[in-house]
Amino acid sequence: MKLRINFHPALRWPPIVWVLLTLMAIGFTVAMVRFALGIGPISNLNNAYGWGFWISFDLFTGVAISSGGFIMAGLVYILQIKELKPLLRPSVLTAFIGYLMVAIALLVDLGHPERIWYMLIYWNHTSVLLEIGICVMSYLTVLAIEFAPVVFEGMKWEKPAHFVHKFIMPFVIFGVVLSTLHQSSLGSLLLIQMTKLHPLWWTPILPVMFFTSALSIGLSMIIFESSLSSRYFKRGLEIHLLEKLARAIPYTAGTYLVLKLADLAFAGELGLLFTSGTMSLLFWAEILLGCIAPIVLFSMQKVRQSPNGLLAGAIITLLGMILNRFNVSWFGIARLNDPGYAPSLVEMSISVAIFSAGILAFGLAAKYLPLFDAEEHTHNAVSAPATGD
Amino acid sequence: MTKQYAYIFDATRCIDCRACMIACSVENNVEMGESYIWLAGAGVMGEYPNLKRASMPYHCMHCIEPDCASACPVGAWNKREDGPVVYEADKCIGCRYCMNACPFQVPNFDWNKGVFEGAFIRKCTMCTQRLEVGQVPACVHTCPTDALKFGERADLIAEAHARIDANPERYINHVYGEFENGGTSYLILSHVPFSELGLPEMPETPVLEVSEAVMEGTIPFALAWGTVLTGVAIGVNQMNKKKEAAAPVAAEKETEAKS
Repeated sequence: MKLRINFHPALRWPPIVWVLLTLMAIGFTVAMVRFALGIGPISNLNNAYGWGFWISFDLFTGVAISSGGFIMAGLVYILQIKELKPLLRPSVLTAFIGYLMVAIALLVDLGHPERIWYMLIYWNHTSVLLEIGICVMSYLTVLAIEFAPVVFEGMKWEKPAHFVHKFIMPFVIFGVVLSTLHQSSLGSLLLIQMTKLHPLWWTPILPVMFFTSALSIGLSMIIFESSLSSRYFKRGLEIHLLEKLARAIPYTAGTYLVLKLADLAFAGELGLLFTSGTMSLLFWAEILLGCIAPIVLFSMQKVRQSPNGLLAGAIITLLGMILNRFNVSWFGIARLNDPGYAPSLVEMSISVAIFSAGILAFGLAAKYLPLFDAEEHTHNAVSAPATGD
Repeated sequence: MTKQYAYIFDATRCIDCRACMIACSVENNVEMGESYIWLAGAGVMGEYPNLKRASMPYHCMHCIEPDCASACPVGAWNKREDGPVVYEADKCIGCRYCMNACPFQVPNFDWNKGVFEGAFIRKCTMCTQRLEVGQVPACVHTCPTDALKFGERADLIAEAHARIDANPERYINHVYGEFENGGTSYLILSHVPFSELGLPEMPETPVLEVSEAVMEGTIPFALAWGTVLTGVAIGVNQMNKKKEAAAPVAAEKETEAKS
């Protein structure tokens, strides 16, 4: 006998939605336990590893993969490259959701989440973390303003949409400045760990390295996210536009590579490339995937003009540069009397839940808001229900 | 000028009795496992018959230029004029950046406390409650062999060098903490390499210098970058307007072709 369950029509969501909701529920439960009993019971963090998976993944990776927002805003509004406009809204939304995810993750990670606003009243001017906190809070506001017209249009509020659009320029410039600051400051955050961070990564120009790699990550992320959403929502892929972004990646990745090698050579530490065991391996993996692979791949027209080539290239670049974030914020830091640390599944379930919420939020926005160009949207609205199965 | 207090530890005198840990636990009302002192570098070294053993009670170094205080976003850490690096729990947001910033890996966190109990950072306080009534810290007070001593930093440095000069074969000719990380208020004398005691190799310039220099440049950079971007935005806008005015027909054709 076949079991038949009749869901109310309103609950007939695609399976992926149920999967995401389940993951979110698990993470939410774990977070409640964390707030009640502390961070210890649900994670493997310890006194030698005060920062672990949450910081490397949610903060360092989360902020880096959200850099597409300021890159596109800069290209479309400031440099007025109008043909790139179809990519603007999805990128700004990715950034907005990305930063919200960072903020939520930090609330779980902070010992006193209810005091996060103390950053606004107690200022320690020498603290890099204060700068990042202020920048991220301000940038979330800017992103909300940049994205507001899309919501207003979705609700058919023409006047407010027009109003925001009219005064958008100062916010765009402010947003690009804020992004430049905190993307690079995430690197500055590690400057104070001079004696702990492996010399393959510690350099006074860490902020410059972080900003340069954020550009590679942001561009790859736009390609990645456009490719996936075009597949899932069965809308056209803006290959000719993505091709242009892909063309820029060899330059950002190349700049990173040259700066990195020049910096090591200048410090007389090129030998470390071969003599540091696991650290050398991690470094090579990061450079091969995050710099050399994209330089080679995206220099080939064939790769840039094929949907699969673009997606594969973007994924490889992202893997390499995200490994960089893990290296500098976790793997490359030496501990005294190292007790070891590997994140527990329970600990990671919180990050997974926040990520699931982000994907769901993007999906909902893509379905109900004019996220892709107006003409495309009508086409999209017709084909959207087909994605349900 | 107020006195700047400091500790000195002489590894040749330590018998690894751990009474300091117990005294600390009692004085500061913390569990033994969470005492602000832990033993580092305990163990036997060398090859028979030349065996050596050394141990060291490890606690906050009370740096003259503390990295925790530089890193803390809300300024919960402060270096007092009389020596101790102190913590204001009322300001702490629990971000644990101080734990990452400290080159000696000193601050510990209340991992097993939720938001209602309040999870804070724990570390040696130099027993400020005892200093106020003219007593020395509990660990120093209880040390049976005078391996730990407390006093004015300048006096202790002079005494450390005097001890080395009196018995040059007994000590390594170095006072750890005199210059390390810009100077600390915990000074160490040893007969074994300092790394054997679990102490990191530190430069003489404070670790926080690079990051503070970068922070100082932040606001000027932000203003300059904002000005440049505004200039570029206006320039590009003007250029595009000129282009459109110069070639309205071409532009029209272009838009037609696009649509």
